Amino acid sequence: MGALVDITKCIGCESCVVACRLYNGLEPGQNEGYRTAQDGNTELAPNKWTVIQSHRTEKSEKQIRRFVKQQCFHCLEPACASACFAKALQKTPEGPVVYNEKLCVGCRYCMIACPFGILRFEWDKPFPRVLKCQMCLGRLADGQMPACASVCPTGAITFGERDKMVGEAKNRLTSNPDLYTGQIYGVKEAGGTSWLYISDVPFEQLGFRTNVPEKPIPEYTWQVLRWTPFIFVGWGALLTGMYLYTKRRAGVHEEEEMYAPVDDDGK
Amino acid sequence: MKDCASDVEKKEITRRTFLKMATGAGLLAGLTGALAGCADKNPEHAGGKGWLPYQYNVAGNLPAQVRGRVPIDADNPSIVRDDRKCILCGQCLEVCENIESVYGYYNLPVVDETICINCGQCSMACPSGAISERDDTQKVFEALADKNKFVLVQTAPATRVALGEEFGLKPGTWVQGQQVAALRRLGFDAVLDTNFTADLTIMEEATELIKRIKGEVKKPLPQFTSCSPGWIKFCEYFYPELIPNISSCKSPQQMFGALAKTYYAKEKGIDPGNILSVSVMPCTAKKYEAQRPEMNASAAYWKRDNLRDVDVVLTTRELARMIKEKQIDFTALPEESYDQLMGEETGGAVIFGATGGVMEAAARTAYFLITGQEPPALFLNLTPVRGLAGVKEAAAEIPGVGTLRVAVSHGMANGRKILDAVREGRAPWHFVEFMTCPGGCVAGGGQPRTAVPPTDAVREQRLAALYKADASLPKRNSHENAEVAALYHNLLEHPMSELAEELLHTEYHSRADKLERLFAKVV
Ligand code: SF4
Ligand code: SF4
Ligand code: SF4
Ligand code: SF4
Repeated sequence: MGALVDITKCIGCESCVVACRLYNGLEPGQNEGYRTAQDGNTELAPNKWTVIQSHRTEKSEKQIRRFVKQQCFHCLEPACASACFAKALQKTPEGPVVYNEKLCVGCRYCMIACPFGILRFEWDKPFPRVLKCQMCLGRLADGQMPACASVCPTGAITFGERDKMVGEAKNRLTSNPDLYTGQIYGVKEAGGTSWLYISDVPFEQLGFRTNVPEKPIPEYTWQVLRWTPFIFVGWGALLTGMYLYTKRRAGVHEEEEMYAPVDDDGK
Repeated sequence: MKDCASDVEKKEITRRTFLKMATGAGLLAGLTGALAGCADKNPEHAGGKGWLPYQYNVAGNLPAQVRGRVPIDADNPSIVRDDRKCILCGQCLEVCENIESVYGYYNLPVVDETICINCGQCSMACPSGAISERDDTQKVFEALADKNKFVLVQTAPATRVALGEEFGLKPGTWVQGQQVAALRRLGFDAVLDTNFTADLTIMEEATELIKRIKGEVKKPLPQFTSCSPGWIKFCEYFYPELIPNISSCKSPQQMFGALAKTYYAKEKGIDPGNILSVSVMPCTAKKYEAQRPEMNASAAYWKRDNLRDVDVVLTTRELARMIKEKQIDFTALPEESYDQLMGEETGGAVIFGATGGVMEAAARTAYFLITGQEPPALFLNLTPVRGLAGVKEAAAEIPGVGTLRVAVSHGMANGRKILDAVREGRAPWHFVEFMTCPGGCVAGGGQPRTAVPPTDAVREQRLAALYKADASLPKRNSHENAEVAALYHNLLEHPMSELAEELLHTEYHSRADKLERLFAKVV
C-alpha cells in the first residue's frame, strides 16, 4: 500500500497529527497543547510520529507558504530494517515498515541507517524505544486508511495501492503541468518509498532531503552490519549499567529475577 | 513471515533476555536467535491502541461526513487551539465552512497565509473547548498592578447581556451595573462605555450615508456598515471590488480607542503614553482589528510612534476569568454607573449588539438629520430588521427624500447572498448591515459558551434583553447623546469634519492576493 501527499492541497490544519496521536495513544507532553509563532516548526518525537512543517519560500517572486507532512516514508527496501539485527524493524508485505518494541534491543543502528532521519529514541525512558509511524497497520488490516489519511479535510493525502498512487501522481502532474513541478518524490529515493509526494515548489525548497541515494540503502548497510557483534557487546554493557542504575533508583521488585542465574533457553 | 508465526515465542528476544545475554552467558545463543528471528503474524508493534471518532472509521476512500478541522495559525491574534483537547469532531470546520463560508471558498494551494476572518465562531462550536480566544488577561493584570499606568476600559454593548451567564445567571440577564462595579473592583482607573462611540459611529455613518445618497461623497451605494471586523476582513479577502461600498467609519471600539488617547487624555490631563486602553468585547476578531497597523490615529495625532489606539482586547469570557481569579462575587455586586465624558449611552447604541441594530440606529438618526424631526414610531421599532432570519429587508419613508431601503445579514454565508446581488448590480438597497456572527455581537466568538453549539434560544434571550433596554431608556436616538454633542462642540466640530476624518475614519485594502477566491463552494 502507499500514500500520495499532494502538498498543494495541504492547509496545515494538523488534523493528521492529532489523528495519529489519538489512534496510536501517544501521550502529548505538558507543553504540547498550544503553539505560538515563536515555537517554530515542530519536529518528530517519540510521541509525535507525524508533524506538519511550515515552509515560507518564494514562487514566481511571490512570498508563499507550504505545509509538508513528515512521517516515516516506509521505504520499499528499508535501511532501518536491514540495519536491525534484532529484526525489531521489518517490512511487511502490505507496505508498512513496522517496529516491534519487544524485539528491540535499543542499539539505534536503525537511526543511523535511515536516510530520512525519521526514527526517534526515547532518551528519557528507562526502557527506551525507537519510535516512528507504523502506517496504522491495524487499520489497514480492517480495510481502513491510516488515521492521518482518513481525517484530512482537503484530500491532501490519498491512500491505496502504491502502483495506483504512482499512477494518480503521474495523472495529476500531466493534467496540471502548470501547477506541479513534475517530480514525484519517493518513486526512486532510497530505492522507492511507500509515501509519495507531489508539489508545486521544488522539493529542496521544502526541506526534503534531495541527496538521498537512489540505490536501495540496504546495499550499503550490510557493510555496517558486519561490525555488529563488536559494537553489540559494548552497547550491551552500557545498557546493563543503565538498567541496573534505573532499577535501583526505582526501588526494584524484580530483584530476585534480575540476579537469578541466566537460564540457557534465553528466557 | 507467516511460516515463523508458530515458533515466535521461542525466537522472540525481549529486553530482559537481551540484557541477560549481554551480561555474558547466553550471548551467542541469543544472538543467533535474534538474527534469525521474525515477527509474529499479529506483531506486537507500537501504536494502534487508541481510537478515532466514528466518522473516520470508514473503509478505503469512502467520503466521511465531516473530516478534520480548521487550520489555526500559531500567530493568529484571536484564537488558539489546545491540541490535547481536540477530538477531531469537525464542528469547527462545519461552522467555518457553512456559517461563515470561509473554509472551502478559496482555491488551494494556500498563498502565504492561513485564511481566517478571526470571528471565533469555531471556538463557540468546539465541544471540547479546544479552541479558545488568545488569552490576554495577564497583560491587563500587569498593567493594573503598575501604579504609573492609567488603565482605561471600554465595554461593548453585547457583553452586558451575556457576562452574567458566566456566573450562573440566566441567558440575557442585564448586568450592566454589576459589570461596571466588577471592573472598578479589578482596579481599572476609568470605566467607560463603547456605547458612547456607538452613538458617535451613528452620527458619522448616518452623515456619510446621506452624503452618498445626495452624491456629495463620490462613493457607491449601497453603503455597507463597518463595525464588525470579521466582516471587513471577509470583504477584503472575497469581495475586494466592493470595498468602496464599506463605510469609512471605524468600528466603535476603534473610535473609542482613538479618542481615549486624544480627547479623553487632553480633557483629563493624562499623558497618552501612560494610558493602557483596554476593551471588553464579545468578539475575537476585535483582537485582530486592534492590531491592524492603521489603527493608530492617536500616534498620528500626537506625532508619537508606538501609540496604539486600543492596546488590549479582552473577550467577555476573559473578563469573567479575571473576575473569578480575583474572587469577586459578581452576582452580589451593586449596580454602578459608568464614568463620565465617554460613558453616556442611548437606546440606539445599546442595540448595536443585535443583528439589525446598527442599521436601525442609523435609520433613526438619518431620519433626524434629513428631516430635522424626531423619527416616528416605525423607526423606533424597525421590526422587519429584528429577529434571527438570515437576510432581512426593510423600506421606510423619509419625507423629502423618498424610500430608504435597507438590508441586514448576519453570518457571512448569508452575507454572500447580499454581496453577490450587489456585485451583479441587482441590489435595491441604500444601506446594508453585515454582522459576522449569527445573531450579531450577542453571539460573538468571545461570548460565554452557554450552549455549545450556540442555540437560537440563547441568542433570542440576549437579543430580547437589548431591545428591552432600548425601549426603556429615556434617550433612544444616537443624536440625543449629550456627551457626543459635547465632543463635537469641544473637539470635532461636526460629523465628518477634517479632524473627525483623521480620528474616526479609515480605509480598507484588498487581500485578494492572499488567496485565489472561489465564488461558490466546490463540492
Ligand atoms: S524512512 Fe527511515 S524509518 Fe522509515 S522505513 Fe525508511 S529507513 Fe525506515
Ligand atoms: S490533515 Fe490534510 S490538510 Fe490538514 S495538515 Fe494534514 S495533510 Fe494537511
Ligand atoms: S475564526 Fe472564523 S474564519 Fe477563523 S477558523 Fe474560526 S470560524 Fe473560520
Ligand atoms: S471543534 Fe474542537 S474538538 Fe472538534 S475538531 Fe474542531 S478543534 Fe477539534
